[in-house]
Amino acid sequence: MTAASVTTRASARRRWLEMPRARMAGSPKVLPAVLGLPVLLWQAVFFAAPLVFLVIVTFWQVKAFRLEPAFVLDNWSRILFSTTFQRALVHTIAVAGTTTLLATAFAFPAAYTIAFRLSARARDLAVAFLVVPVFSSYMLRIYAWQIVLSPEGIINAVVGAVGIGPLPLLGGAVSLQVGLLTLTLPIAVLILVFAMAGIDRTLIEAAENLGCRRARVIAHVILPSLRPAIALTATTSFLLAFGDYISPLFMTGSKPPTLSILIVDTVKSGSQWPRASVIGVSMLLMLALVLGLGQWLSRGRAARKEAAR
Amino acid sequence: MNGTLATRLSRLAQYGLLGALFVFLATPMLVIVVFSFDANRFPTIPWGGFSLEWHRAILADPMIRDAFLNSVLVGLGTAALATALGFAAAYLDFRHRFRFKLPFILLVAVPPAVPATILGMAMLAFLSRIGLFGRLETVMACHVAIATSFAMAIIRLRLNDLSRDLEPAAWNLGASPLSALLHVVIPFCRPALIASFFLSAAVSFDEFLIAWFVGGVHETLPVRILNLLQGQVNPKINAIGTVVLVISVALVLLAQRFTGVRAGRRPKPRSGE
Repeated sequence: MTAASVTTRASARRRWLEMPRARMAGSPKVLPAVLGLPVLLWQAVFFAAPLVFLVIVTFWQVKAFRLEPAFVLDNWSRILFSTTFQRALVHTIAVAGTTTLLATAFAFPAAYTIAFRLSARARDLAVAFLVVPVFSSYMLRIYAWQIVLSPEGIINAVVGAVGIGPLPLLGGAVSLQVGLLTLTLPIAVLILVFAMAGIDRTLIEAAENLGCRRARVIAHVILPSLRPAIALTATTSFLLAFGDYISPLFMTGSKPPTLSILIVDTVKSGSQWPRASVIGVSMLLMLALVLGLGQWLSRGRAARKEAAR
Repeated sequence: MNGTLATRLSRLAQYGLLGALFVFLATPMLVIVVFSFDANRFPTIPWGGFSLEWHRAILADPMIRDAFLNSVLVGLGTAALATALGFAAAYLDFRHRFRFKLPFILLVAVPPAVPATILGMAMLAFLSRIGLFGRLETVMACHVAIATSFAMAIIRLRLNDLSRDLEPAAWNLGASPLSALLHVVIPFCRPALIASFFLSAAVSFDEFLIAWFVGGVHETLPVRILNLLQGQVNPKINAIGTVVLVISVALVLLAQRFTGVRAGRRPKPRSGE
């Protein structure tokens, strides 16, 4: 490729990019406003305002079972220093952390097989099969696990027939992870499959031509280029597991309670809105922290040095 | 290809793990469907024989019928509105530069990432203050706030494949921005619009926490199921579950059919290259 052809292509591209903008200056701004305002209003009223109000309510007071505007820090101190909250926070972080590790560890080899071993047709089918559970009936599938794992359930009926005694499968940490992996695994695998499919195959072929064995290719080519995707998989899994309400409710019977269980119980138990809001806002802060950490990890050491300069 | 024993074992382990993953994901769905036709009251092995008793029972249950109707109404409304709003957001992102664009896009994109427990509680607290608590329209409005994110993503992906100069060409030929939008952009986006309609309906049809918080006495089907699950063992649950499962799987598959999302390299027509 000659230098001249590169310049022509670059200037051509510049022209292509600029043309719409130049044209926009002359066209009325009515259409974008008409399109944008409804979206803005809708998301403001039904998404942003509720969350802002949630933060405000944490400073309000409950007097004679009625919520009253005020500015007190009492709710925050009561919740943050209560052992119930602290225990639930530690428990929820531990549970979500475990799910994150398990989901990433299981998803990686599965995604690898889908992306690099299956034919294009089989890969499309696998992806279609993984997308379905992301959007369908999570609550029902947890209920189905109850049927499978309960003391009178399917597994115990099978092992009972050979004389093994009802196993306490339901209600422990294992069943909770079964539930949370039902939630997180399909998404974790999908993120990694799409990231792996996007890796430049010539890099892999180059490494193989240079005599790298598969394990070295994975360690030195595939893993480094997947860094952001792995960080995204981990943060997504954590986010889903951390906020989930259904698995803790049905797989462990809310014992010990996670933060989501605590929120719903606090709301249900009457008018303790400010305290429930404190738990909710704390959870959001916690998640923001995790997302930030994921961003930081996904950048990699070299990029971080670059940014620090 | 198949060289050493180690390679073959490694392949076997890879396919084994993938198989195990699919069994793990398929098991709960199969359990629901299989036991909905079980004559026993409590779902376990051995199977009590084929029966349509529970499917008939849900047809006769007025609460379930009402909940189903509510779900359909909320789902259709959500699908239509989320697709329209999602298209507007995706198109603005594609075509225009404006101040506060990133916050605007985030405002649409972020809602599904907020845990539904927190979002549901926040919506209940705020919307009950402005007198919107306990209405079916409110459930729909809240579902739209979440589903628009998915609609925007699907439509934005499709717009990536639209040549950036097609619209300016239409303007040069004298089309107004509106008629270029109607005659160039929207026809091009049709598959994505259909896909986001189905997917938004699926998101709404599956959502239960927000519907539970803000719906009051108006139960959608998933909320009805949640309330049934918290009570006694009820053999009707598997039958409703089967209906819900069939509908939401059908919606997701329809959505996929129209997006053509593939994990692979697809030649992407990009302008200027």
